[in-house]
Amino acid sequence: MTEVTGDQGIPADVVEHHLDRGAVSLRVDSALYPLEAIYAAAYVFIDRCYVFLDRVAEGKVRVTLSPKGAPYDAAAAREVVGEFANELLSCAWRAQITRESRATIEAVTAQALSGARGAPSLDDLEAFDFSDEAFDDPLGIAMSWEEKYAKNKKDASKTEPKPEEPKAEGGVEP
Amino acid sequence: MIELRFHRELYDGNAVDEAIKSFDRFATLERAEEPSCFVVRVTAKDEARERKVANELGNFALGLTIRSGSTLGGSE
Repeated sequence: MTEVTGDQGIPADVVEHHLDRGAVSLRVDSALYPLEAIYAAAYVFIDRCYVFLDRVAEGKVRVTLSPKGAPYDAAAAREVVGEFANELLSCAWRAQITRESRATIEAVTAQALSGARGAPSLDDLEAFDFSDEAFDDPLGIAMSWEEKYAKNKKDASKTEPKPEEPKAEGGVEP
Repeated sequence: MIELRFHRELYDGNAVDEAIKSFDRFATLERAEEPSCFVVRVTAKDEARERKVANELGNFALGLTIRSGSTLGGSE
């Protein structure tokens, strides 16, 4: 089990305090948090902290945060590290969602842009295959009223019994 | 003197150069190159100023690197 310190529940071997410089460092594993997530989280903190990135080992990035303005305070540093860790997780998750839905986003954007090109030219219309079915319509929802009506009329004419002529029954008509 | 070492896989060289240009008037900045990093040495009239300029320069270089959208990180 990993040892946990008071630094917002972050493992002890991950956080390092630099009292002389008024800074706190966080070692981030690049396998868990991609570089784009580290950049995104760093960018969020750049207005209130001095942020410095360094590669300490293969696959490890050290993020050093020095809160601006106020003198170094251990409690404030712990809070900053905790907030940064949360932001990092959030950015990593967002980066993963973006990666997974990239194909969908690209398809939707391409469709939107192709629709915004305006009316097709005569050449486009000439080349267009109108015989191609737009989509399957097993229930006949897309069928026009005329088609439906014509079919019904035809069927009706086939199935409707013809009225029989009245037979003369040899009697005297009234 | 404060020495800043910007790792090549994390910082864009153009961003570091741009940061040096921007902070050149606040301190004496010396640029050097090493195989794995860009080195910037900051010298000012007092230690507090050196630290301030170094911190601001580091933030500026990081901000430009992120905004440039460079594909850094090597194997990642």
